[in-house]
Amino acid sequence: MKKRQMYMRMITASLMRRRSRMLVALLSIAIGATVLSGLITIYYDVPRQMGAQFRNYGANMILTDADGSFTLSDMQQGTAVIPADALVGAAPYRYENVRIHEQPIVAAGTDMAGARATSPFWRVEGEWCSADGQILVGANVAESFRLKAGEMLTVSYTPETAQTQEDETVLDNTIDLEITGVLDTGGPEEDYVYMSLADLETLTGESGTIDVAELSVSANADELSSYVDRINASVPAVKAHLVKRVTASETTVLSKLQALVLLVTIVVLALTMICVATTMTAVVTERRKEIGLRKAIGASDRSIIGEFLGESMMLGGIGGVLGVVLGYVFAQQVSINVFSSSIRFQWLLVPITILVSILVTGLSSLLPIRSATEVDPALVLKGE
Amino acid sequence: MFLRMIRGTLLRQWKKMLMIAFTIALGASLAAAMLSVMLDVGDKVNQELKTYGANITVVPKSSSVLNDLYDVEGEESAGAYLREDELGKIKTIFWAFNIVDYAPFLNTQANLDDGSEIQVTGSWFNHHMELPTGETLDAGIASMRSWWELKEGLWLDEQTTDENSAMVGAELAEAQGLHAGDTIHVTGTAADLLLHVSGIYDAGGDEDNQLYVPLNTAQALGGLDGKVDSIEVSALTTPDNELAERAAKNPASLTVAQYEIWYCTAYASSICYQIQEVITDSVASPVRQVADSEGAILEKTQLLMVLITILSLIGAALGICNLVTASVMERSSEIGLMKAIGAQNGAISGLVLTEIFITAIFGGVIGFLAGFGFAQIIGHTVFGSAITMKPMVIPIVAVLVVLVTLIGSIPAIRMLLRLRPAEVLHGGH
Repeated sequence: MKKRQMYMRMITASLMRRRSRMLVALLSIAIGATVLSGLITIYYDVPRQMGAQFRNYGANMILTDADGSFTLSDMQQGTAVIPADALVGAAPYRYENVRIHEQPIVAAGTDMAGARATSPFWRVEGEWCSADGQILVGANVAESFRLKAGEMLTVSYTPETAQTQEDETVLDNTIDLEITGVLDTGGPEEDYVYMSLADLETLTGESGTIDVAELSVSANADELSSYVDRINASVPAVKAHLVKRVTASETTVLSKLQALVLLVTIVVLALTMICVATTMTAVVTERRKEIGLRKAIGASDRSIIGEFLGESMMLGGIGGVLGVVLGYVFAQQVSINVFSSSIRFQWLLVPITILVSILVTGLSSLLPIRSATEVDPALVLKGE
Repeated sequence: MFLRMIRGTLLRQWKKMLMIAFTIALGASLAAAMLSVMLDVGDKVNQELKTYGANITVVPKSSSVLNDLYDVEGEESAGAYLREDELGKIKTIFWAFNIVDYAPFLNTQANLDDGSEIQVTGSWFNHHMELPTGETLDAGIASMRSWWELKEGLWLDEQTTDENSAMVGAELAEAQGLHAGDTIHVTGTAADLLLHVSGIYDAGGDEDNQLYVPLNTAQALGGLDGKVDSIEVSALTTPDNELAERAAKNPASLTVAQYEIWYCTAYASSICYQIQEVITDSVASPVRQVADSEGAILEKTQLLMVLITILSLIGAALGICNLVTASVMERSSEIGLMKAIGAQNGAISGLVLTEIFITAIFGGVIGFLAGFGFAQIIGHTVFGSAITMKPMVIPIVAVLVVLVTLIGSIPAIRMLLRLRPAEVLHGGH
């Protein structure tokens, strides 16, 4: 007990007395540990954060009919399989041929909030529809009919029962909708008009069914295919497909990005570790005189090595703790600045960072200590 | 004498100096590697994002209204086509270098022998072009439809197979019982052809019910010689900003200076504008789904790399500072001796600084080369291509090394100058 107390006292006293020198060493260890914990936190969080960015590409899964009638409740059963935090958005679509100014146009009925979440790339000039009784028109439709946001638009639909009649227009259903915005996507959506599902049901007089549901799911390729399998197995009313173009490309790009961050982390880490090692070597080499003196008054090599090792491992520990804190702060800053969301803290990194930093400092001081103890004390003290 | 003293230090204390040089080399290599990767990551990720396919589509003016809205078919829609002979011009625009890939498309309806009507799409698969600039380009859907999964057979190779070949969508192949190597008889509006099935693909979309044939074959089937429905262009673009958005709406609204900036920046909108200039009666528009997402992902990746680079630069700088300070401080007794025999403060600082700087330059050059090597390793492992070295990395790293060495040695030197020679030499500081 007495011996251990003395040991601790020697270590701490040595650290305290050589304060400025030790602070310098501590700083470099702390930087190394910061890089370790900060970059690894980012490495683990990149797929999640970048995955969210990739959802800009729109739906990566679609649900279609499997049993002859596809209803909103079928869709809800399907989406229920996917965990709520992975589901970015889900939008039902029902397409009908309607007429505007007596010209045939494809109209889609959807849930506007869902469509906005699944298709973040839709650019609306004007406002998104926020209530029933409103309509979004595609840019091409708007151009050919000279439509602008704020105008009223009459949409008509010929029910199937009336299509056999001689003068079909008489039996048309019509609905007046307010144009809230013009939709610009650079894709086929520009040729369609979008209204709420309820309005389309009122217009057609038939309700309950949809054609397809678009889902935007934040998950990696394996998770996505497992969701598809589970939906297909547990919900017989729908068939789930992956949108290959989006999922395949996302996997490619995301894996490259993660590999990039990993490699960068390894390179930075290796270099900072070497930096720590050189600093520790310098710190120990400086104290050859002290080692010589101790040997001269009868200290064994073992006790000298043990003491120096204890000292540097203590430094490593303190540096590691500092590094964990600073690394988290750094990762958090990066995450907030780059992705505008907070980072997930990896608890496992706390012991790992501290352990690695103790190991690296301990190992990097071990070699110079050993070589210092082999020196003849008389020579060292004499100054040669 | 000065030179002799420096040479003496470098030769006698070479171990210590080597350590400083080593640390500086480490820091410099880290800085060089990270800066090179950071400056090139935009281009690299941009290339990767090309797997999403085209980000610009070119259609004839008013074709969308005629074909899509009014369901006009066949000869009535004459005029709403682009000209095949103008396709090469896309590679002559100002931003030609940024156009990675493009392919024309021509859709036509055709009947199979059992009476079923299918859509036949003509396109380039791996079209080989000799450009006026002397470059060659292999463009077409073989690279632009990278997500297509080949179920059977091979991609249609325009160079080796004759024109009467086709690739069949998975669902169509299943419905018709087709396999790679079979022949299929297709009757178009203008001709009927016997096509050789070279491969079967699964695209996970509408294309699975279609037949893809070389452009000339589709033109022959539909009697549409020299005509093209649409062009998909895959271009490396800069994320849009406010200027680009304003320009996209109306380029005439810009001032001359703004117009020049816009025209000479690789925005999707300015590339579209330039394509419209060379293709008669065309409307080029960015595919928002791809263009916007690319912009967002690129920006995020670059920002992420910038921040990681800053962290590693700070780490490297502090590491070097540390070691330089430590190694200068170690020489207190030597400097005490110099002072005792009458050396001026200026002379001592000059001596120490020169020694450190010679070491730093040595370490910096080696570090820079090593860093370049690290960058190449990263480039080859992650992206499978070399990282382009930007010349601006050299001055940045040089300034960094000089600055860090100065900052690291100045406080140490000042401390040494304050030492009293008697105390130092006596050994009791």
